[in-house]
Amino acid sequence: MKTKLFALAAGMMAATALASVPAQADVKIGLIGGVSGPIAAMAPAMIDAAQLAVQQVNEQGGIGDGEKLVGVVGDSACNPQGGTDAATKAVNIEGVVGLVGPHCSGAVLAAAGSVTIPAGITLITPSGTSPEISGLEDKGTVFRTVPSDDFQGRALARTMKEMGYGKVAVAYLNNDYGTGLANAFKAEYVDELGGDITQFAAHEEGKASYRSNLAELAKGGADTLVIFDYGDGTGLTILRQALENGFFDKFVGGDGMKSDAVINELGAENLSNFVSSSPVGEQSESLDKFNEAFKGVGGDPDAIFANTSYDAAFLLALAVEKAGGKKEDVAAAVTEVSNGEGEAILPGEWKKAKELIAAGKAIDYKGAAGEHNFDAKGDVPGTYALFEVGSNGFEVVTEMQ
Amino acid sequence: MDLFELVNFYVVPGIVLGSIYALGAVGITLIFAILRYAHLAHGDLATLGAFIALAAVTGMGVSPYVALPIAVLGTAAVAVGIDKVFYEHLRERPKIVTVMASLGIALMIRAVVQVVWGVDTQTYSRGIVRPEDYFGIRIRDREIYTLLAMVVLVGVLQLFLTRSKWGKAMRAMSDNPNLALLSGIDNKKVVMLTWVIAGGLCAASGFFLGINTELKAMMGWHMLLPMFAAAILGGVGRVEGAVLGGLIVGIAEELSVLVIPSEYKAAMAFAILLFMLLVRPTGLLKGKVL
Repeated sequence: MKTKLFALAAGMMAATALASVPAQADVKIGLIGGVSGPIAAMAPAMIDAAQLAVQQVNEQGGIGDGEKLVGVVGDSACNPQGGTDAATKAVNIEGVVGLVGPHCSGAVLAAAGSVTIPAGITLITPSGTSPEISGLEDKGTVFRTVPSDDFQGRALARTMKEMGYGKVAVAYLNNDYGTGLANAFKAEYVDELGGDITQFAAHEEGKASYRSNLAELAKGGADTLVIFDYGDGTGLTILRQALENGFFDKFVGGDGMKSDAVINELGAENLSNFVSSSPVGEQSESLDKFNEAFKGVGGDPDAIFANTSYDAAFLLALAVEKAGGKKEDVAAAVTEVSNGEGEAILPGEWKKAKELIAAGKAIDYKGAAGEHNFDAKGDVPGTYALFEVGSNGFEVVTEMQ
Repeated sequence: MDLFELVNFYVVPGIVLGSIYALGAVGITLIFAILRYAHLAHGDLATLGAFIALAAVTGMGVSPYVALPIAVLGTAAVAVGIDKVFYEHLRERPKIVTVMASLGIALMIRAVVQVVWGVDTQTYSRGIVRPEDYFGIRIRDREIYTLLAMVVLVGVLQLFLTRSKWGKAMRAMSDNPNLALLSGIDNKKVVMLTWVIAGGLCAASGFFLGINTELKAMMGWHMLLPMFAAAILGGVGRVEGAVLGGLIVGIAEELSVLVIPSEYKAAMAFAILLFMLLVRPTGLLKGKVL
C-alpha cells in the first residue's frame, strides 16, 4: 500500500513538474528580496512594484521577438546566506538574465561576490544602500537605483545639526547596512560638523532584551538616540525598550526604521519624538506616472523603495532588450539606456523604448526615483527627506540637503 | 553607576530573560535525559506556542494570559504529534539521525508559522507599557508574571517528578531505560508524557518571550543556543539545574555589556556553553555526561 501511495505521489509530482515548465521563449529576471526576515513588511510592495514593470513590458509587446518577460521571485531573508542561496538558484537553475535585488546590503554583497560577478550576471539592487557596495570589484555588473548610505548618513547628520540636535548616542545593527550608515553619519556629524556622539555601539539582532545595551548608550548624557536598524526587526525592540524605560527623549532612525510596523506596534501616540530619514523620489513627471500606474494595480506608491524597485526592474528590462537578450552584454547596456543622452523614456513607456531600440536610436530612462545616470561605481546620487509620525502614518518634516 | 541602575537595567532584564530560557531549557534537559538526543526544533516549537497564543488573542479576543493555557495545550499536542509522525520511526536508529531530523522539523515548523501568520513582526497588545516603580526598582507586571509562572510551572513539574507514579517512571527511564522496561514501565506512555511536558513548557517560554518583546518567526530559533547552554550549564537531566542555568545565562548576557562591546553580547551563551563542556561537562548540578 505504501509503495503504491509513493508511486502515486511521485507520479503527481512529475506531472506538476512537467506542467510548470515554461515555454522556451520566456526571458526570466530574478526578483530577489527579503520576503522573510527583518524587512518582511517592506518587501511585498517592492516586489509588486518590480512585477508592475514586468507586467507593463508584457502588455506592450514583450521582450525581443514578442517573448514574455517573467519575474522569478526568490527569498534572500535579508542575510548573506539567504542572498547567496536565492541568487544561486535564480542564476543556475532558473537561468535568469539579470537580478533585481537582493534588498539588503549584506545579501547584495554576498550574492554579488559569490554568484553574479563570477557568472557575469547583472545585478541591480533597489535598496542595498551600504557604502561597501560601491567598492565591489564587479567588472561593472553591479548597479543600484538607490543612493549609497554615504550620502544618507551625511545628509542626516547635516539635517540634525541644523535642527538643533545636540549630544546623540548611536546604536547600529552589526551588519553591512547598519555599520555603513553609522560610519557615514559619524564621519559627518563629528568630524565635519563638530557634533558630539557620546556612545557609538553595535548590537546583534534577535536578542530578547536590549535594556543593558540601552543603559550603556544612555551613559554620557545624550538625550537623542540614533538607530540604524530595521523597524521590523531589532530596531523595533530597541525603540520599544528605550521608550518604555525612558532612556532617551528623542529618537532618530535611518531609512530602515521607516516601517509601518513601528507605528502599528508602538502606536503613533508614543512616537511624537521619533523621526526617520528616507530616500524620496524628486517630484517629476516620471514619479507621477509611476504613482498612477502603481495605484492602478492596487499598490501604495509611498511605500518605501517601491519606486526604486520599479526602476530597477524596468531598467533591467530595457538593458536586456538593448543587449538583444545576451546575458554578457546586459551590464554595459544598463549604462547605455540611462546615461542622460538620447530620447527620454518615462516609466511605462516600453513600446516607445522598444521601437527606438529596434531603430538603433539612443534612449535615456528617466526613472520614478531619479534620472539614474550611473557613475563608474554603478551608484546614483539621491534626495532625502526627514519623516515624522503623524495621524496618517509617516509625514515629511523637511527635505534633507 | 548606582545600585538601582544596575538592578533596573541589567539584573531585572537578566532575570526575565533567564526565566524564559529556563522554561525552554527544562524541556531540553528532559528530552536529553529520557530520549537521549538534542532536540533542535525546541526553539521553533516555542515560536509556534507563542503564535498559537496570538491566534487565541486575536481570534477570541481574550487576554494574553487566558491564551497561555490554550497555547500550552496546543503546543503539547503538536509535540506529541511530531513525535508520533517523525521521531518514533527513528527510535532504533543512531541518535544523530533523530537530531538531524529535528533540525528539519525546526524548518518545517518555522515555515508553517510563516505561512499561517505571515512574516511581519506582531505583538499581543499594541502600544508600550511603562514600568511601575517599587521603591526605586522598576518592574513591569508582565515581568513579575514571567518569573512567577516559571517558578510555579517548574515547581509543579518537580513535584510531579518526585511524588507521582508517572513522574517516578520518567526518572527511572532517565536513569536506566532497560531496567525501567524490565520493571514494567510503559515506554511509550513515558515518551508521550515527556513530549507533553516539553511541548507545554516550550509554549510558555515562547509566550513569555512574545509578551516581553515581539512575536517574530525567528524568535525561537534565536533562543536555541542560550537554552542549550542553560541546560548543559545546569547539568543534563536536572530540572532545577536547567532553571539555575537559564537564570545564569540570562543575567550573564545582560551583564556582559558592562565589560565587552555590545555586538558580542550574543556570543556570551556560546562562551558559557564551551567553557562548561571543557571544564565541567557534568554541569553545575552533576548531570549526565553526553
